[in-house]
Amino acid sequence: MRGARVAAVGLLTGWGEGTQALPEDARRSAGGRPVVPLRAPARDGERFRRATRECLLGVGAAEALLSAADLSRADVAGDRTALVYTTAAGYGASNRGFIEGRAGALGFPYTAPSAVPAEVAIEFHLTGSYVILIGGAATTIDALWQASVLIGRGAAERALVMAVETFEECADLFLRGRWLVHAPLVEAAACALLVPGDVRPLYRPVGAAAGGDDKVRRRAGETLACGPLIALALALDRGEPLCVTGEWRGRRAALEWPAAQVDTENMGGLEGSPERPGTLGGAPGNPGRPSGH
Amino acid sequence: VSSSVTRVRSEPVAVIAAGAVTPLGDGLDTFWAALLTGADGISPIERFPVDGLRVRSGGEIKKLRLPPVRPAPECRASQLLIVAVEDVRRRESLDCPPARLAVVVGTALGGVDELDRALREDRRARRAASGLYDSPAQRLAEWIGARGPVVTVSTACASGATAIGMGADLLRADAADLVLAGGYDTLCPFVMRGFDSLRSLTRDRVRPFDRRRSGLLLGEGAGLLLMAREADARGRPVLGRLRGHSSASDGAHVAAPHPEGRGLQLAIRLALAEADASPGDVDFVSAHGTGTPLNDRIETAVLKRALGPRAHEVPVNSIKGALGHTMGAAATLEAIMCLLASRDGVVPQTVGFEEADPECDLDYVPAAARRVRPRLSLSTSLGFGGSNAALVLEGVA
Repeated sequence: MRGARVAAVGLLTGWGEGTQALPEDARRSAGGRPVVPLRAPARDGERFRRATRECLLGVGAAEALLSAADLSRADVAGDRTALVYTTAAGYGASNRGFIEGRAGALGFPYTAPSAVPAEVAIEFHLTGSYVILIGGAATTIDALWQASVLIGRGAAERALVMAVETFEECADLFLRGRWLVHAPLVEAAACALLVPGDVRPLYRPVGAAAGGDDKVRRRAGETLACGPLIALALALDRGEPLCVTGEWRGRRAALEWPAAQVDTENMGGLEGSPERPGTLGGAPGNPGRPSGH
Repeated sequence: VSSSVTRVRSEPVAVIAAGAVTPLGDGLDTFWAALLTGADGISPIERFPVDGLRVRSGGEIKKLRLPPVRPAPECRASQLLIVAVEDVRRRESLDCPPARLAVVVGTALGGVDELDRALREDRRARRAASGLYDSPAQRLAEWIGARGPVVTVSTACASGATAIGMGADLLRADAADLVLAGGYDTLCPFVMRGFDSLRSLTRDRVRPFDRRRSGLLLGEGAGLLLMAREADARGRPVLGRLRGHSSASDGAHVAAPHPEGRGLQLAIRLALAEADASPGDVDFVSAHGTGTPLNDRIETAVLKRALGPRAHEVPVNSIKGALGHTMGAAATLEAIMCLLASRDGVVPQTVGFEEADPECDLDYVPAAARRVRPRLSLSTSLGFGGSNAALVLEGVA
């Protein structure tokens, strides 16, 4: 089975776009706000008339990824691109809206967590392998691993691993269940691109040592499933080895790329070109393009 | 569908045992016996008020027999999983180091009924946390003492199939030694109101592939498979093997299948490739078969394209006429049905199918269960969000 590597990450958070918008100390920067919201990008026209804020954030994260990786929509369209989506609570707002009678009949399909990746798949014509996982940061580690498996066995030539978390509409519920989450809650949407590589990442689904997730939380705040993708973005920026950890409900998982993974061949159709030099360039040990935006 | 699709053949995974709770009764044996006699699990819903709804019936489990050994969680979704896992335990031990026992379950609704209660009537913090979609899987893991990966899949009504596939992937990656994989969902006011408002529910009976089909009815239930690597299962009696699986996106519509079933066709093709099987190897198809005009027509067309002439030669059934659409549980219950069909050499009938539709022209096993022993079965699933999944299962005679 072939390996997989992270080529780029697109990131939107309540702090702004990209890693450069993240503060050094999220708690201090939040200034006592329980939620740092993220406004959905504006969309015109009938196509997005019923789409929820979470759906629009998913689309925005995918656009941020394409921008970070210097790719066009055509580069990822089709049935060779897998989409692996994860969220711990990104369906809460739509579910609550339906329960409390604020959504009409046609709002019901948007209560399903699958509505977010569905809108992304429709918008970018993604018709390949499709997995949707529910949970926090540990689940995103599972999602990254699953994407590497799909690439590894040839079910996909590339994979988008996406997470979206919104909190504002259910802030009172998170206050009730505060043992599950840290403060401040920071809304986020992130999308990583995985492509074939030389190395298969090491997956540790349980019992991983505490790692970078605390550091990510200090910078970004509590972003639940988005946390490991933010960690990847930060590591790519710094040219650090890729090792991400995530904890959720007492389970701590990790995914590590064990060695330098510069890969000039087998780029899954995403090679840099004269028109787009260095698309997948990067420092040794950090083959992906920095996620600066 | 791209012709460039390739997939490396993967090691088959053994299905050691299964457990179920359905509107047809408690336990795997009751489920199977009722399917073979053409029983109907649809009844008026009694557990919550349905006064304002157009359609007030479904596949409701009237009495849930919880194990008496210790208090079960209040959440009904968790209760369904616990009843199902106790059914598994009656057949096979879960003996395994806790960190090597994984739980992967699919659901369309998760703990949404708990969220409904948390918002309407119950201010307790625990109730709010139970509203998260992955809470029932966590409760199941706690119940059995599993400390391995606990994963919730939510590809809508294809969730159970995707969960079984991911469970197999965990085993192949040596991330667990035993995996409980399957799916569940409950009938609750949230989902009844949702489907009722979409006018997806029928006032008639569910009639998969029938000319008069007019919609689906919802049901509730849970199904679990206990899976292990084939090498680890040697020497144990097994129900069968998972040979291949795949999930694929339509990328077409949030609530309706692609008009030509693009994603389903790709899922079938990838699953057969992983199983190292050709269409001619398929002996039986367990269809999604919801009984909606659109689904059954599209699914029939996809099967004809994906299987070629073989589609007309093999029995194709749907058990949703008997159970209702059990959403996250559906694909798992159908996978179990495929394996039991191979074991006992009999395929259940499609309850509700009586009059042929020119657009649905396959052999849908009308009227009565049929004596046939499939070796390789294909099970198909579709769901909201353009979700599609296919499983290739090998039975053991």
